[in-house]
Amino acid sequence: MTSPSEPQQAPDSGADDGGANGGGLTGRYYGRGIPYLPLESYPGKLIAIEGTDGVGRSTQIQLLREWLEVRGYGVIETGWTRSMLMQPTIELAKSSNTLNKLTFVLLYATDFADRLEKEIIPALKAGFVVLSDRYIFTALARAGVRGVDRQWLRNLYGFAIAPHMVFYLNVDVKTLIGRVLASRGMDFWESGMDLKHGDDIYDSFRAYQNKLLREYSSMADEFHFKVVDARRPVDRIQDELRKNVAAFLESAGRPADRPADTLALQPR
Amino acid sequence: MTFSLLHATDFADRLLYKIIPPLKAGMIVLADRYAYTAFARDVTRGVDRQWVRELYSFAVRPDLALYFRVPIDVSVDRLLARRVKLKFYEAGMDLGWSTNPVESFRMFQGKVLDEYDHLVNEFGLEVIDAKASITDQQRLVRNVIAQRVQITEMELSDDEPV
Repeated sequence: MTSPSEPQQAPDSGADDGGANGGGLTGRYYGRGIPYLPLESYPGKLIAIEGTDGVGRSTQIQLLREWLEVRGYGVIETGWTRSMLMQPTIELAKSSNTLNKLTFVLLYATDFADRLEKEIIPALKAGFVVLSDRYIFTALARAGVRGVDRQWLRNLYGFAIAPHMVFYLNVDVKTLIGRVLASRGMDFWESGMDLKHGDDIYDSFRAYQNKLLREYSSMADEFHFKVVDARRPVDRIQDELRKNVAAFLESAGRPADRPADTLALQPR
Repeated sequence: MTFSLLHATDFADRLLYKIIPPLKAGMIVLADRYAYTAFARDVTRGVDRQWVRELYSFAVRPDLALYFRVPIDVSVDRLLARRVKLKFYEAGMDLGWSTNPVESFRMFQGKVLDEYDHLVNEFGLEVIDAKASITDQQRLVRNVIAQRVQITEMELSDDEPV
């Protein structure tokens, strides 16, 4: 019957597990999902780049995008507060002083839901690579630091799709402070001034970002982060990202595995 | 989803500014619709039943929840008698079930009413027959509230129909 050393088994199961290189999380909702949008095996790929403010996400995403496009992939970017529906509302709400931690969380969740339904899922259906500048983990980290119930948050974001890959750009606060000061300076929200640690923006930034980094780290295992050391030069980080993405896209299946109309993902 | 989340945001804002402070001050808060509306309406729009309940788990549980139950035909007749046009979302036109607003309203609100019927048992809503005259309904409402809430004699004596 089943001989333990059956050599024929290996190639077959290997082919079935093609997508498992992405952590075995592909194409599913984290929680209860969106009942009216059942996920089928969409040809697109969702790759999230996570990390705190000023860690270099946008630089890396720009480089990654160019590289992918040259290789013939269709690429779409998405990022927080960029939804057509919510951007003006969120800007307005932040400029008034009426937001509390709950409404803050819910406004961001609405923004995310809008982008998920209108940008991310359609792009995945059409076979694009979606590069997400931050994903739900930033929302979870920020709200967690502000004392919002972690179980409630996970349920709230249960409608999010698990990305194929999550890169977490990891940095220490000291490096971060140097970078942020050298570029654009510290801003009110990124320094967690709303938490009222004190009037000193430097102290507040350090305390707040420290907590945020701890919050991110605590999620690394739960959500299968690929942790990338972001203290290194831009090129070195990009190399690591490309190597991982290339390996994943390679394993995700050859064009022949896909329906004929999903040309966007076919490497040339 | 965005429909559900925007309403939850609005609710959270009202809860923290308009509901909890007066409760702390010992006042009675009358809420015209509560989380139950979201449970019925959002689920009819296709949002997960359990998800929306957990979403609203930050809400204060009311001391008393009244559900004014009315058959769909009565509801449609009343609305049409008073105004010409049914509201787009109220009629569930966003769901694309029918291009006729009245037909769409019937289908959508009919399903919303079915959801409400589940909520009655799940959350112990007090059902008021909303087919009855306003005077009768109000009398009933005052009786129910009088039983559940401690009200002084002076406040109770004001039982003139509206």
